[in-house]
Amino acid sequence: MTTNILEVSGLKTYYKTRLKEKVFAVDGVDFVLEEGKTLGIAGESGCGKSTLALSLMGFYFPPLHYGSGSIQIHGRDIMKLSKEQLRTQISGREIAYIPQAAMNALNPTLRIIRFIEDIMKEHRPELTKKQVWDMAVERFETLNLSPKVLRSYPNELSGGMKQRTVIAISTILNPKVLIADEPTSALDVTSQKAVIKLMKDLLDKQFIRSLVFITHELPLLYHVTDDIMVMYAGEIVERGTAEQMIFDPLHPYTKKLMGSIIVPEEGMKGHKLAAIPGTPPNLKHVPAGCRFAERCSYAQDQCRENNVAVKEVDGRQYRCHFDTGTLKEWYANEQS
Amino acid sequence: MNAYAKYFVKKLFWYLVTLVIAVSLNFFLPRMIEGNPVAMIVSQMTKGMTDSDTIKRVYETFIQEFGVDKPLWQQFLIYVQNLFTGNLGTSFGLYPKKVTDILASAVPWTIGLQLPAILVGWILGNVLGAVAAYKKGVFDKVIFPVALFVNSIPFFTLAIIMLYVFALTLGWFPLSGGYDFQMIPQLSFEFIGSVIRHHTLPFLSIVLVTIGGQAIGMREMSIYELNADYVLYSKLLGIRDSRISRYVFRNAMLPQITGLALSIGTMVGGSLICEIVFSYPGIGTWLFTAIRQLDYPLISGCTLLIALSVLLANFTIDIIYGFIDPRIKASQMEDQ
Ligand SMILES: Nc1ncnc2c1ncn2[C@@H]1O[C@H](COP(=O)(O)OP(=O)(O)OP(=O)(O)O)[C@@H](O)[C@H]1O
Ligand code: SF4
Ligand SMILES: [Mg+2]
Repeated sequence: MTTNILEVSGLKTYYKTRLKEKVFAVDGVDFVLEEGKTLGIAGESGCGKSTLALSLMGFYFPPLHYGSGSIQIHGRDIMKLSKEQLRTQISGREIAYIPQAAMNALNPTLRIIRFIEDIMKEHRPELTKKQVWDMAVERFETLNLSPKVLRSYPNELSGGMKQRTVIAISTILNPKVLIADEPTSALDVTSQKAVIKLMKDLLDKQFIRSLVFITHELPLLYHVTDDIMVMYAGEIVERGTAEQMIFDPLHPYTKKLMGSIIVPEEGMKGHKLAAIPGTPPNLKHVPAGCRFAERCSYAQDQCRENNVAVKEVDGRQYRCHFDTGTLKEWYANEQS
Repeated sequence: MNAYAKYFVKKLFWYLVTLVIAVSLNFFLPRMIEGNPVAMIVSQMTKGMTDSDTIKRVYETFIQEFGVDKPLWQQFLIYVQNLFTGNLGTSFGLYPKKVTDILASAVPWTIGLQLPAILVGWILGNVLGAVAAYKKGVFDKVIFPVALFVNSIPFFTLAIIMLYVFALTLGWFPLSGGYDFQMIPQLSFEFIGSVIRHHTLPFLSIVLVTIGGQAIGMREMSIYELNADYVLYSKLLGIRDSRISRYVFRNAMLPQITGLALSIGTMVGGSLICEIVFSYPGIGTWLFTAIRQLDYPLISGCTLLIALSVLLANFTIDIIYGFIDPRIKASQMEDQ
């Protein structure tokens, strides 16, 4: 029997700008992550992926604000906890986070080991400095990271090394869930591989139980995660297994997103891959009806008028007015 | 040689080069001012004398005594030679006083005025700046504009306004000098009281501008650091706010320490205007007098002292920084 390690329902969070306008960056997100599973989240820039990642931590710092919804870790709603409970019981222990700009996530004037000591002072105050050191060395060695790193300052490490160090630090308390926001995006191919390998090691050795991996490089998700979720304009528009999402997408947006990456047009090789024409809607004023309608080649009047509910078919979810038969027929016609 | 020793030697070399240039400029620049110092001195000394022969003899004696009859380059060689024995020559204006004796009597006044003022202003300014950045709100809205205002008044104007209001109009403080002229310097309560009364206004004027500048700098640095990625990352690992504030404070403080070291180093030169406005018996006032009298040795002596202290301060900062700031350490490594 599988248990749900992370259960998010109706989560809404928004930014309040200086001009007091609200940007609804996460606008009603529901999903479940089972223990031992990995989930990828993909979508264009500005769809709210990073905001979702941050929102899942349960901590909100201006300009980001909590609207509504619940986040349950092993059935415990962390939104019902006080800030202090969240800090001492959840952050880093149950759920850990790797920010999108992980390169800058480390305090430049603190040696890595000093930072680890500070983390331990909060969560394992009974440990002596020596014990923390031994533990850190052991963890770094297990993850094929040189323990020399521990004595270094962040600026003495290369970009890829810094990224792996951040990952090792984030997971040092063996959190159940790790949320990694674009952990490979700023790296060269070799370092990317090392980071992916590190993530797999963390799962294999059970230092983490589940992983949420955010990226816009879809092919990468195929090899890394069990499931993929596609986000558009603050909503989840489709979820399925990596296999289904990449080779048999249902939602027109997923289809476009995959199409723009997997089958580049003739003569486009070596160029930046063609983006989907148009831009995602401004999240300050979310359009009524289907949020993708403006850019969808199949859009009809009802798409623009009626809000779309999530449909569930054979364990897959997608957010479109049309049934799978209709969609597949359209896609088939397009190919011929 | 390790990287640090190389860095040290390289720095030392460049500081020595700068020193040589400074010594030459200190010597030649004053001597390029139009005018004949000996004629000025002699005409003062021989006021009322009518015998032109005697006047001529006095004039020639002085010309020889001061060595201004020799070609400039020869004078320079003598000057440099004397420098090595710690002899800065004899003052023209206060003949036959030694320049070193005049400087030795002036330095305690300058340091006694500047050092406490800089320290007090620096500490208050940094505390105010940090508090403004942390607390934001009303506190920030009041402190910041006031600091900006004080900082934008030219020091000269500020000093004159204070002199006008508190000394001339209100008569709370004496107008000029370091102590009452009728008094003989000694360790009596009266004398010390007089020194303190004369000290107050120039002291406050320096404290005020220092607070202004430091508060603005510290506020900017703290705001920058508070928004750094490591703040959010540390929070999400459950590190308590007070510890994160310490990270921020330390990182914001480092550049401020440079500021402190620099103003202490440039203290001797930095007090020029203040001392002149308040006729305070320090280096600044002496330099001012020396320039008016074309007292070359005294001018060169004052400027040499100023140049030396500035160079020494910068050198010390460079060296210490290489030790304590890993960001600089990293860039040293890259240099080699
Ligand atoms: N600090 C902020 N204040 C106001 N709006 C913001 C802020 N940060 C992000 N947004 C807005 O929220 C929306 C979602 O941004 P988010 O960073 O979550 O997107 P993303 O999917 O992670 O994009 P990317 O792929 O570029 O990282 C965007 O429209 C963005 O403009
Ligand atoms: S609902 Fe309509 S506009 Fe939206 S994705 Fe489906 S077909 Fe396109
Ligand atoms: Mg992002």
